[in-house]
Amino acid sequence: MAAILGLIVGVIVGIVFKPTVPVELQPYLPIMVVAAIDALMGSARAYFERNFSDRVFVISFLSNVVTAVLLVFLGNQLGVGSQLTTAVIVVLGIRIFSNVSAIRRFIFRG
Amino acid sequence: MVRGNTMPSKRTNRNSNRETNRVRDNAVNALGPIGQLLHQEHTDEHNDDLNTGAFPQVKKKPAKIHDARHNVYARIASTLTIIVLCALLGFGYVTQSQNSKKSYESLSEDELVRLLDETNRQVDSLEQQRTQLSEQLDSIRSSANKQQELERVAQENERTSGILSGRLAAHGKGIEITITQGGKHIPASVLFTLIEELRNAGAEVMQFGDVRVVASTYFLDTGDGVICDGVSMKAPYKILVIGEPESLTNAVQIAGGVGSQLRVRYDAGVRIRQNNNVQIDATRQPSTYSYAKTVE
Repeated sequence: MAAILGLIVGVIVGIVFKPTVPVELQPYLPIMVVAAIDALMGSARAYFERNFSDRVFVISFLSNVVTAVLLVFLGNQLGVGSQLTTAVIVVLGIRIFSNVSAIRRFIFRG
Repeated sequence: MVRGNTMPSKRTNRNSNRETNRVRDNAVNALGPIGQLLHQEHTDEHNDDLNTGAFPQVKKKPAKIHDARHNVYARIASTLTIIVLCALLGFGYVTQSQNSKKSYESLSEDELVRLLDETNRQVDSLEQQRTQLSEQLDSIRSSANKQQELERVAQENERTSGILSGRLAAHGKGIEITITQGGKHIPASVLFTLIEELRNAGAEVMQFGDVRVVASTYFLDTGDGVICDGVSMKAPYKILVIGEPESLTNAVQIAGGVGSQLRVRYDAGVRIRQNNNVQIDATRQPSTYSYAKTVE
């Protein structure tokens, strides 16, 4: 409930203020968003499995975002930024898919 | 035996197990010490089994601390944190989706280079076509009034080559670029890249500071500035360019291009002003060639 409320608030704030992304943040923001979506999906799965923990959610959210950004930052330093960005997106995409399928099994099991 | 509390059915099972064990013992003795070790392991595993069937197995759960007031505060705090995090996610999503609508900004450097390359190739082929057509036109005209035409062409050539070699002053529409230095030194290589980009974008005449830019113009790094064709300069650099103002501006301002490189990497300020009458007064004397001779 809180999560959905937060999402709505964030989207409205974003639409109202129409911020521009600073240049230094431009390669990292999409990665941050995908990592956060992955954390959200993981927590939704935990919620359906009845072992959702807010502490775990907060920590996984932050660590996901920080790890993804650090990986891309490292890639940019080494000159393989775009490849590492792809790698991070692929891995997070796979995780999101597996989480969604777990949620689906919970909903349609019976 | 460790277990004392087995069900009757289990016991009969156990007896038959013993039978098979005895049979295996004989085989084990034949295998020697390794066989004995294997056998020991097997019996240990069997004896350590805790599944008696008498008690239902229950998963261990951590004891919960019940402190009502603490719980309420913790719940409010965690709910607020979740709201803030999800709001950040939604905010980031909307920001990103609104900003990635500009088509060129989402392209990578390689794709942009390819795009530029393709455009250049297209321009080249069109240019070739144009030259061909104008040659035809010239030949038709010159057949009508040869003498006058030759004179005119010679004059025109003289003028263009004069502008090209920097012998003549020029004016026309173009842009004025002012580069101010931030904290970092702007290297000569970046300034040269800027000149190259302007050339690619169709710059006809250029002046860097007080130096007329020609084909042989070079840049050298010094401690606090650059040397351009033997003249040492310091920031801010002023560059006058004659050419199509729009495409010249685009060449500098393109995302990831030399303009943003200057701004992001070297903290420099790049200001471009389009001008309908850029006056380029700097000239240079044509160099005398020692080896090259014109073909008659």
